Amino acid sequence: MAANYWASTQRRHWLFTREKLAEVRERLRERDKVTHSQFPLPDQRLLNIYFNQQLIKLGKRMSTRQQAIATAQVYLKRFYTKNEIRQTNPYLVLTTAFYLACKMEECPQHIRFVVGEARGLYPEFITPDVAKLGECEFALISEMSSQLIVHHPYRTLSELQTELPLSSDEVALAWSVINDHYLTDLPLLHPPHIIAIMAIIVAVVFKPSHPGSFGNSAQAALSGTMRDGAGMGMLAALSDKPGSGPPRIQKLVQWLAESEIDIKAVIESTQELLSLYEVWEQYSEKHCKELIGRMVKSKNLDK
Amino acid sequence: MALSPFASRSPSLTVASPNSALRLKASAVPRSTGQAVATKAQSNPERELTEQLNDDVRRKYTKGKKLGEGTYAIVYLGHFREDPSSCVAIKKIKVNAEYKDGLTMDAIREVKYLQELSHRNVIALHDVFSSKDQNLNLVLEFLPGGDLEMLIKDGDIHYGVGDVKAWMGMLARGVWFCHENFVLHRDIKPNNLLIAADGEVKLADFGLARSFADPYLNMTHQVITRWYRPPELLFGAKQYSGAVDVWSMGMVFAELLLRVPLLAGMSDLDQISKICEAFGTPTEENWPGVTQLANYVTDKAVPLQGRDFFLRQFPTAGPVGADLLMSMCVLDPRKRATALQVLQHKWWTAEPRPTKNEDLPRKSGTKKMGDDLARRGGDNDDGPFKNAARQLDFGGMK
Repeated sequence: MAANYWASTQRRHWLFTREKLAEVRERLRERDKVTHSQFPLPDQRLLNIYFNQQLIKLGKRMSTRQQAIATAQVYLKRFYTKNEIRQTNPYLVLTTAFYLACKMEECPQHIRFVVGEARGLYPEFITPDVAKLGECEFALISEMSSQLIVHHPYRTLSELQTELPLSSDEVALAWSVINDHYLTDLPLLHPPHIIAIMAIIVAVVFKPSHPGSFGNSAQAALSGTMRDGAGMGMLAALSDKPGSGPPRIQKLVQWLAESEIDIKAVIESTQELLSLYEVWEQYSEKHCKELIGRMVKSKNLDK
Repeated sequence: MALSPFASRSPSLTVASPNSALRLKASAVPRSTGQAVATKAQSNPERELTEQLNDDVRRKYTKGKKLGEGTYAIVYLGHFREDPSSCVAIKKIKVNAEYKDGLTMDAIREVKYLQELSHRNVIALHDVFSSKDQNLNLVLEFLPGGDLEMLIKDGDIHYGVGDVKAWMGMLARGVWFCHENFVLHRDIKPNNLLIAADGEVKLADFGLARSFADPYLNMTHQVITRWYRPPELLFGAKQYSGAVDVWSMGMVFAELLLRVPLLAGMSDLDQISKICEAFGTPTEENWPGVTQLANYVTDKAVPLQGRDFFLRQFPTAGPVGADLLMSMCVLDPRKRATALQVLQHKWWTAEPRPTKNEDLPRKSGTKKMGDDLARRGGDNDDGPFKNAARQLDFGGMK
């Protein structure tokens, strides 16, 4: 964390309303309808899941911090609000986002090493020429108006851990929920503290069924429970009458009510997460890989 | 969270795509065929939109004469096109021709932090744009008054304790603001303290800055120019705080009073012994845990200096000023004053009051500004002393 979120470029320039975001994307689509119909791509969230997996693979041998992966994901999102994905080589863009995010989060990796790793994973899509990555870095920075600091919800989570307080299982689950929110548009829609609160509520309400079993993502642990309608119950608990539900949740709701946090935004984020887990079931790595591969190859975007 | 008490600068901070982004896509286009042209034309309108933004920003300024050049940047005098009498400094970061190593950490850090920090005592970044040759250009506040080093070294300039108080006050406010925003500057020294036309001191060169690490994560100790480097960094501490900047501030304070650097070590080891000679030898008694630091060494045991030492050494500061300086030079970083405590010190309200900006001694230093901004931070102007880490340090820089 650096600088002040309330005065940050993130808050001033990279927070969209849902409508605005849809409009921005529609405009990109409008400009190039032909390519759009020619190269259909999966749901944005499925693509995000795919990109996230690639970032994790890239970072594997470099013991990258989760925060750098998160920053890279936000960079991708920001970049693709200004650029049509179908005119880029997503493998190059994501490798660059990774490279830049590592520098940003103070865990820099040498450009040659990053290119080497990416070549190992995508020999068809990444050229050995490091200058390409350097050039793309420049483009990425420019497209993001050199506004590079990303505020993440992780810090809020650790700060609230003692205040609320949260058990270590709850923190771990909330942490995974935060990891998952990068697969949605939420980082462009809500400030980090809203996301952190959402993750905490989800973690407290849906006690992890198998403590400690969720890994990087909370999807496996949560999607079942949330689908079973427990989610609706929770939303109801949040939206009105504090005083119902188990004491632990009551206490949290009470705390929320006094906190002046935008509850509506929290609820909306929860729903977004819920629908992410629904969509997730359609995810096929192979499918994403094929569609992107075909697009890049037939448009010669890798050259 | 601290908000700058001053109106935030508004400029748009837009950089839109240079040709490189275009090339990302355009390079997808086979060079020769007619189809290529068609595709290109198709993608052009949208490119023009983003490029337009960049051009708008670029066109806001005219580039004038070169003010200074370093290995990593060239600094030009610039003007707002609409108001030729206004001045800005345009720092053009040299992207190495082949993008061999990506953008340097210096450039990244500078842009990263200056984009977010807005305070009267921190150099303002008005805009960023990319030029045709694919260089990053930072449009910075124009600071024609040179830097504190210039004033310290110029024997023809006489200044008194009120002046020192004014300069130190501005420095302390700038550093406090950075710390309040979780940013460590890590290269505070007189030639990074530039002076505006109205006499205001501005903290510049954020090439070594970083945000506070999360608890227990390591940071590199190879920062801060040696003479201003605190003992914990010389001993190789990998976890440290704003106290490192406060020590540097103390060294600047002492130098302003003495008009020579207080502790001009010839090597890191020499720096350590100079610190010991001046303030006393760090031991487990006066600094619990110090012997555990990786590079802890001592040669002679000098007893810790008390208040008398500071009173004797810095008579011009007066007893209250000596107290303040002493609180900034405490060996144990945990007992050292914080930037906030520095600001709350009695010295600021004691007589003499800080000199008003318009009455501060000044010198014209446009050229100096150019050199300061072009220089890689961490370097001393004297060649043999350059030492601090400027390159990517893949092991330590966590």
